[in-house]
Amino acid sequence: MSPFRLLRPFLLLLVGLFFLFPIFWVVLMSFMTDQAIFSSPPSLFFKPTLQNYAALISGHLETGTGTLDVDYMRNLGNSLLLAAGSVIVSLLLGVPAAYAFARFKFRLGENIAFTLLSFRFAPPLLVLLPLQIYFQDLGLYDTYGGLIWVYQLITLPLILWIVRGYFEDASEDIEAAYRLDGHSWFKTFWRIAIPLARPGIAAAALLAFIFAWNNFIFALILGSSAVQPVTVGALAFITASGIHYGQIAAALVLSILPTLVLALYTQRYLVEGLSLGAVKG
Amino acid sequence: MAFIELDDIAKSFGSKPALDGVSLAIERGETLAVFGPSGVGKTVLLRLLAGIMEPDRGDIRIGGASLLGVPPERREVAMAFQNFALYPHLTAFENIASPLRARQLDETQMKRRVGEIASLLRIDHVLDHLPRALSNGQKQRTALARSLVRAPAVLLLDDPLRNVDAKLRYEMRLELPRLFKRFGSTALYVTQDYREAMALGDRIAILLDHRLRQLGTPAEIYNHPADQRVARLFGDPPINLLPARVEASGGGATVRLFGQTLALRHRPVPAASGWDCLVGIRPEDVELSSEPIDGTAPFRLRATTPFSVRTALLLAGADGGELIASTTNPPAAETLWARFDLGRAVLFDAATGTAL
Amino acid sequence: MASLTLEKLGKTFGKLRAVGDVDLAIADGEIIGLLGSSGCGKTSTLRMIAGFERISEGTVRIGDRPVNLLPVAARNVAMAFEGYSLYPPLTVAENIAFGLKRRFAKAEVGRKVAEIARLLEIGDILEHYPSAISGGQQQRVSLARALVRQADVYLLDEPMSQLEPQLRAVLRVRIKDWLRRHRMTTVFVTHDQTEAIALADRIAVMDQGALQQFGTSADLLDRPVNLFVAGFVGEPPMNLIEAEVLRRDGRLALAALDRDGRTAFELMLPSAPAGKTIERMLEAGRRITIGFRPQSASLAVDDRRQGAGAPASLTIRGRVVSNEWLGDQSHVGIEAGGLFLIAVTDGRIALAEDGAVTLALRPEALHAFDRETGRALIHGGSIAEAARHAA
Repeated sequence: MSPFRLLRPFLLLLVGLFFLFPIFWVVLMSFMTDQAIFSSPPSLFFKPTLQNYAALISGHLETGTGTLDVDYMRNLGNSLLLAAGSVIVSLLLGVPAAYAFARFKFRLGENIAFTLLSFRFAPPLLVLLPLQIYFQDLGLYDTYGGLIWVYQLITLPLILWIVRGYFEDASEDIEAAYRLDGHSWFKTFWRIAIPLARPGIAAAALLAFIFAWNNFIFALILGSSAVQPVTVGALAFITASGIHYGQIAAALVLSILPTLVLALYTQRYLVEGLSLGAVKG
Repeated sequence: MAFIELDDIAKSFGSKPALDGVSLAIERGETLAVFGPSGVGKTVLLRLLAGIMEPDRGDIRIGGASLLGVPPERREVAMAFQNFALYPHLTAFENIASPLRARQLDETQMKRRVGEIASLLRIDHVLDHLPRALSNGQKQRTALARSLVRAPAVLLLDDPLRNVDAKLRYEMRLELPRLFKRFGSTALYVTQDYREAMALGDRIAILLDHRLRQLGTPAEIYNHPADQRVARLFGDPPINLLPARVEASGGGATVRLFGQTLALRHRPVPAASGWDCLVGIRPEDVELSSEPIDGTAPFRLRATTPFSVRTALLLAGADGGELIASTTNPPAAETLWARFDLGRAVLFDAATGTAL
Repeated sequence: MASLTLEKLGKTFGKLRAVGDVDLAIADGEIIGLLGSSGCGKTSTLRMIAGFERISEGTVRIGDRPVNLLPVAARNVAMAFEGYSLYPPLTVAENIAFGLKRRFAKAEVGRKVAEIARLLEIGDILEHYPSAISGGQQQRVSLARALVRQADVYLLDEPMSQLEPQLRAVLRVRIKDWLRRHRMTTVFVTHDQTEAIALADRIAVMDQGALQQFGTSADLLDRPVNLFVAGFVGEPPMNLIEAEVLRRDGRLALAALDRDGRTAFELMLPSAPAGKTIERMLEAGRRITIGFRPQSASLAVDDRRQGAGAPASLTIRGRVVSNEWLGDQSHVGIEAGGLFLIAVTDGRIALAEDGAVTLALRPEALHAFDRETGRALIHGGSIAEAARHAA
């Protein structure tokens, strides 16, 4: 047993701790009172409290200067709606498009695909000002539809490029066999191509969801209190009387939860894809 | 009018040609073996018939009706792929039932037909397995069952036995003709194994250089190959192609091989003197003797290779030329003498490779 | 060029015993084939010899040296992989010459590369890169690279699996010639027994991780030690029929049984020339499996009996099911009493489908196996080695 072998578990633990510790600490903080958070030296042992969560859920924040009404739960709901809505729209548009790019060779195909990808290259700030003006004119400002539409700039290229790769890797012979059995082009797409690309679709959808969820700038500039997601809503915790770390920590934990649940749910489909790929004649 | 007609079919991929003007007429109920080296266009031919690709030029007709522009699901054609192409997320039963579902057969009928074909192909005990739980042989039989279950008029098989172990391949080779006949299908069978082609084909179509080089019964191909490449491809050990010069001599023609001058009876006499050719002699037509034969030089035995019925002997002549002979009773000596029966030999023009 | 010895070699993957108890003594310069179906352990065995798999049990010796603990590079083995493993940034010629540059002068290297390239018919692609050549060509390059090296042992993993049958047949002869000329100790893996028989001096047949038999092709064909080897080696495969031993008029007879256990046909054995031991082995009521090679049967139409020593022949009457003409031989399928048998004859034979045919066998061509254990009992008239030790 070489010395490296013995050291390995310790090194791995060290790296793991380095990356996970901040998250771990935030979760701990969400159960601490303000005094516990500021105690010096910081301690892992404390009396846990649910008051931070209670404050968030009820909407009443206790600050030094009195109660502040914060609508964090509504922000959570908005985030869910916007992220889920964007991903669903992107899937409906992107998966068939990815199939078309993968299977059919048509003129300007690569050009169009690249153009769609280029949306990811541009920093959002570049398009924000003109978009703001259009949104006001079209009445899309502060609407769910407007934001979901803008979020396509983030989610659609992702879905397109990841799923296209999966369709390209999938065996065309299997689809050909299904058509020879007598099924139409559409049935083949629905019953064979999509199920076989499921891991790619799941991975792309999950990534797109995360990116949409984390978006800050579009929601800030093109929306207001009605559609505010948690990214913007967290700003409210920075009050004149100071920052309530306990409540922010609780807010953070709540904002991580939906994405975490989704990731755990789709994990099954991601792993499945790896074993299907091992089929060889 | 033949049942399947291919009329001057051509197909290229970019600048690379796959088929360059192929015409074929296939009779109903016939099994046509399509034979040729890799890359010559055999698979492309099947895919054109299946409708997975459209030809650049030419016409494809089944029963007199042109199939150009007809999508695969509307052609009455079934196909078994080389790499099986089973649906990995469906059970073997569902795989086989797929063509019947497309025709919206009722459940009971479907179960019955799937059951019949499965028991015929001896996979009825694994019908509820997913493809990844099946052995290669079972996968191949499931793919075959799927193509046979609707008793197709036209059956296309793209080297279906290629990815199966040698042992299983032999067994399947015996079963396939019986299956085709049972369902009355007209079959096109692509293979690179000449034995498969001879065993399964009523006729064999040989593709070389992306074109149809010869079409005939196994006997015609084996005994009268049109091209020296065809002759070499059909036979194991392969035919000897001995370069020699045909000379006119006293009203007939002779050729000199390994120091022997042999008369060519019933052969065309070269107009000018001297005609460079390749004399094709099959190893089994070489007579060996451990006793000297008058007027011939001995051969040295270089290597022996046992086969199932015969043994192949690699012989080296005094001038360095090689000769392969095959015999059921390999002699024990290191030095041998050989006699050739030119009656069964085939002559090829040395420059073009075409048979004379 | 060294001898190679495997002593009780075994490999376990977790709970799976992929290879167990393999004993092979290979002499310097011998060509050995590892033959078996997918999953039988032959590739794992090869990889253990090379050093790509850790050895779970037993020892591998090259020369007299145990190499279990030596890394691959120190074992002095050359390997041609099933997956080619060519170096992409080097041309074909450079790939082949890779191991040689250190030991030989440039001119010599060039000569060797040209020679092996001509042998394997890749002389025209020497300046190409691996990505520009076909799979079959890549495989030949991988093979050339292994064959041109100076190693103690050469290991070839399905070296010609991607090549067309015709090319394979041609290359086999040349490769065998090359291996012999350079006295290279070689072990190759294949699932194609025609290839094994053609190329190897001796063949090790494996099934489910265990060595079934190790011998020359004649040993395997004429004296298979068990049912597996009998049914696996030989193309077409040996006809194997379940049978029961009976006594008729004081003589032994064999009743061939169909799938339902009913008698399909009977074979009267001639009065035993080998005497009492055979009789004891085939005592009446014993359940055995009999076998005969398709090549040892001679065929005749209708009632005319044929074959050497006709009166002493065993005959089976049947109906022609198929007649495959393969150029220099014909494979005839016969149905007799519900059983399917194959016979191979030289050249072409005029037998129409559904016609009556008589199959004649010399008693020496018959093999008998114990039905329960699968072990061989009798080959022709002599007693099988295994049975002799057991009796």
